[in-house]
Amino acid sequence: MAGSTAKTVHDIFQSMEYGPTSSSAATAQAWLDHHSRSLGLFMDGKFVCPADRQTCSLVDSKGSAVCSTVCAVDHDVSKCVSSAVIGFKAWSSLSCFERAKVLLKMGSVLGQHGQCVSEVCELSKTSCSPSTLLRLLQYYSSWAQLRDSLITDWSPLGVVAVVASDDCSLYSLMQKVVPALAMGNSVVIVPGRSSAPPALLLAQLFMEAGLPSSALSVLTGSDVSLGAKVAQNPNISYVTYSGNKQDGVTLCKATAGLGVPVSVSPCVGATCPFIIFESADIDSAVEGVMETAFKAKKEVQWVLCVQESVLDGVVSRLRLRMAAMKCVALASEGDRAQVDAALQEAQKQGATLLQPCAAPPSGTQFPPTVLCGTAPSSPCVVNPPPGPLLPLMSFRSNTEAVSLANHSPHGQAASIWTEDLTLALETAKSLSVGSVWVNSHSMSDPCLPASGHKDSGTCTDGGQEGLYQFLQPSSSSSSPPLPRSSSISMDYSNFGTATSPAVIPNGSDPASAPKSYLQFVGGKSCKSESGSSVAVQSPEGTTVLAYCPDGGRKDVRNAVEAAIKVQPGWMKKSMSARAQSLHSLAKGLEAKRRDIAASINAQTGLSLEEADKEVELSIARLSDWAACCDKIQGGAPPVPQSGFALSLPEALGVVGVVLPDNRPFLSMVTLLGAAIAMGNAVVMVPSQKHPLPALAFIQVLQSADLPAGLVNIITGSRDQLTAALANHSVLKAIWYWGNAEGCQYLQYTCTSPLKTLWLHCQKEEKDGGMDWTQLRPSHKEEMWRKAVQWKSIWIPTA
Amino acid sequence: MSKQCRNWVSKVRVNTQAVLKRAQHIQGRKLAKKQWQAAWLLKAVTCIDLTTLAGDDTPSNVHRLCLKAIQPVRYDLLKSMDMHDKGVTTAAVCVYPSRVADAVKSLKAANSSLPVASVATGFPAGQTPLKTRLEEVRMAVVDGATEIDIVINRTLALTGQWEAMYDEICQFREACGDAHMKTILAIGELGTFTNVYKASLVAMMAGSDFIKTSTGKEAVNATYPVAIVMVRAIRDYFLCTGHKVGFKPAGGIRTAKEALVWLTLMKEELGDDWLHPHLFRLGASSLLADIERQIYHYVTGQYAAFHELPMA
Repeated sequence: MAGSTAKTVHDIFQSMEYGPTSSSAATAQAWLDHHSRSLGLFMDGKFVCPADRQTCSLVDSKGSAVCSTVCAVDHDVSKCVSSAVIGFKAWSSLSCFERAKVLLKMGSVLGQHGQCVSEVCELSKTSCSPSTLLRLLQYYSSWAQLRDSLITDWSPLGVVAVVASDDCSLYSLMQKVVPALAMGNSVVIVPGRSSAPPALLLAQLFMEAGLPSSALSVLTGSDVSLGAKVAQNPNISYVTYSGNKQDGVTLCKATAGLGVPVSVSPCVGATCPFIIFESADIDSAVEGVMETAFKAKKEVQWVLCVQESVLDGVVSRLRLRMAAMKCVALASEGDRAQVDAALQEAQKQGATLLQPCAAPPSGTQFPPTVLCGTAPSSPCVVNPPPGPLLPLMSFRSNTEAVSLANHSPHGQAASIWTEDLTLALETAKSLSVGSVWVNSHSMSDPCLPASGHKDSGTCTDGGQEGLYQFLQPSSSSSSPPLPRSSSISMDYSNFGTATSPAVIPNGSDPASAPKSYLQFVGGKSCKSESGSSVAVQSPEGTTVLAYCPDGGRKDVRNAVEAAIKVQPGWMKKSMSARAQSLHSLAKGLEAKRRDIAASINAQTGLSLEEADKEVELSIARLSDWAACCDKIQGGAPPVPQSGFALSLPEALGVVGVVLPDNRPFLSMVTLLGAAIAMGNAVVMVPSQKHPLPALAFIQVLQSADLPAGLVNIITGSRDQLTAALANHSVLKAIWYWGNAEGCQYLQYTCTSPLKTLWLHCQKEEKDGGMDWTQLRPSHKEEMWRKAVQWKSIWIPTA
Repeated sequence: MSKQCRNWVSKVRVNTQAVLKRAQHIQGRKLAKKQWQAAWLLKAVTCIDLTTLAGDDTPSNVHRLCLKAIQPVRYDLLKSMDMHDKGVTTAAVCVYPSRVADAVKSLKAANSSLPVASVATGFPAGQTPLKTRLEEVRMAVVDGATEIDIVINRTLALTGQWEAMYDEICQFREACGDAHMKTILAIGELGTFTNVYKASLVAMMAGSDFIKTSTGKEAVNATYPVAIVMVRAIRDYFLCTGHKVGFKPAGGIRTAKEALVWLTLMKEELGDDWLHPHLFRLGASSLLADIERQIYHYVTGQYAAFHELPMA
């Protein structure tokens, strides 16, 4: 600093350099000093500093110490969660109006202490403006107010744990905390290292706003393993995570089998395409790149895709605009090594570098760098290194841009630049990402729902749609679909490998020989790939009723291949055409109702009369879903920014369904209807115990007006087929009714790529509290909401 | 106008909201204080075209203006910053054609080589016959103006007759001879950002040394978003031809803070080359007074009363 203050007016007059801008942190420092620079845990509405704990120290961007936080141990966790249970009782028993009032009050408290919050964020290197937090609070306070009138028949979950990784921003964290509170849950925040101080400050401010003490607690630790520790507590009802993918996977694996649903939003580190079409305002697009791609701390990794015809224009503008840029600080020396290696590799492959200055030979300072001439196969695109690096690829046509952008394991967001509205909307629709920004980037607002597609998430955040992760249908509170348990020690590689008992010829009487059924793959009835069958027992378990194919990994592969071929076409079909197909399916079922009723009767022992009723109910259910086809729609929620934003429900793709034992036919038709009405294809595994009604249904499917491969039915060992579904990357979701072991297996396995899991651990006669004959509206809503993901499209205008 | 140029003009696209956002971003930048502020303000002074364009201009107020242009900031203030011998004057004085002779005379009497700029071509509306507009340019040059601020024919721009506009400006260029030509686009009357961009390109293709936002007489004058569109056209032109064209915002620029934002905008979008009077001018009349007050505050720590600083 001494050197720069010595600069004379004339020096600066000559050089016209920017001067230092001061940013004060006095308020934040005073707050930290008040806590003696060591922040405790926040529980029971106050800071608690238990003795003899390890601490974690935090440094600011200049390397000076900011404060230290406590690393919570098991004892702290159980104390905190039990107080959160009390907090839940107090908070959820308030009226909607009272809860809304607290959130609104928090808004004004934040207004009062905004300076302190933004300074603490700044010191902790997690930028978050108080105005975005204010918008969160205002938006969700109105949902808190309207919960009971607009979201009837749903109730809060209980204690929700919100876990974040070290690099997760405060905003991403609060994006989950505020809606969870608004719906009446109590929340335990497990922040990452950088979001810990501001999260603690906000918790304190919430108390000032009148939140019941212990409805919000903050537990700090050294890494994400604390999140898993918190999840282990049986009083936690739901765990939701925000941050980088790696820690998310660790958390999923560590919480598998605990009987607690875990959802993951890996918002940090996803690769996102930044597409510039030739019809774009190139200057503004390049400015967009400058704003977002070279930040010292960026949440996503951009890949610049430029149409070949304007490539030169973009590159020359980038060169000019980057000329004045300074080096950016990398996080560590280790990052520098990674950056150097990535650049070397890229250059070896012929990439050219665009840099304002050469990189200093060592150290953590690195210049913003564009890597021109990379390809999707380049290591720096496949595995983007940290730092201010931006790979650039070119494309020829509009469709190629979409394929280039979609050819990525991530599906977080995309920025597209064109002045052509039709092209913009077509592209936005075709991109498999959660958010599309047209002629803009990095916009967000709580009123827009967005789900991470592909490997970018398993839940929807934002909008009314995002509230349902913090709610459950009111009736099921008696027995949760996934009861708490402790994880079993199991060998994941062995799951589902037990072979079924072989069927051997036993010379039975030809007249009474059990029938052999076929399964249904790609629109055709067929045997299993292995060729072998398994026996289906009668209800009493004394006689063999029939033989069904013993399907396995290859059958699942065939089915998924067939399904993914037809699913995009099915989703693109008009709503009314989809409804028509479902109606025709219902009609086909009507024609075969006797056969089906007979098979239900034979399989489950239900009386023929009762069985017939079940078929009739199933027909009604299909008509129900047919009617829903064109009623479930997105919208254009009003956003505070000028312009338009659209939210669209989209099909997940191919869904694997392991069907319940209970009400085998009705449950299958209900789930099948929900999935395909929303545009998905399904691979269904009928109950291992009761497969016959599903197999009898194949004749109905064959004559139905559905694309071949949209619905597949594979019978056999449930565990074996579950393992096969879990290990197919095309599947985006698995709905599972089975045993605790299967639930644990799926939670542990379905992490790479992430699959959205809907797990039910069925016990005798009860599967997850769902009464299939009397489906409440909230159950139906839950079903179709599980069958869609949401995309938001931003079209800002002047 | 060559086919290539026509093609270039026709392909122009500007996204209004993105430009507005960029303008907000630039306006939202924190500005440096202390000697940085003083140095930047002095730089702004050297870029000012000190202007009087009023119906009641007479030799006496033009004379005052010229002398203020030569000594824009009080000598003792400059001296305390060690800037008294660094040639801090405004970039030019700018007057109506009929006052050019007066300005030239005053400056000569004061031994100053400061250029005199004259507005011309039916300023501000440009709605006079081409013949008289050309004659106006020639006469201003004969009277000693070395910089001519011409206005474009908005009728041609609004009806999309870019070639006709190009031909007109080429004729002005010829009439200017060696004088610098600054082309006023009157952006307040061009309707869209796309038109502003196209007009900027056409003006540059026809040989303008500067492009200028407005006359100061339209309802909308120099705004940051429109300036972003124009300087991007300048950048575009530079990238394609290697030729650097200057930029002059004018009209409604009154405060020292605005002057700093203008400099920031130039530095951000075009780089340091465009921070000097040969590529950047600020058309203003009352701006100088505010800048001088800020400099007074930097030097003395006090806020000056109006009468403490010499009037123009």
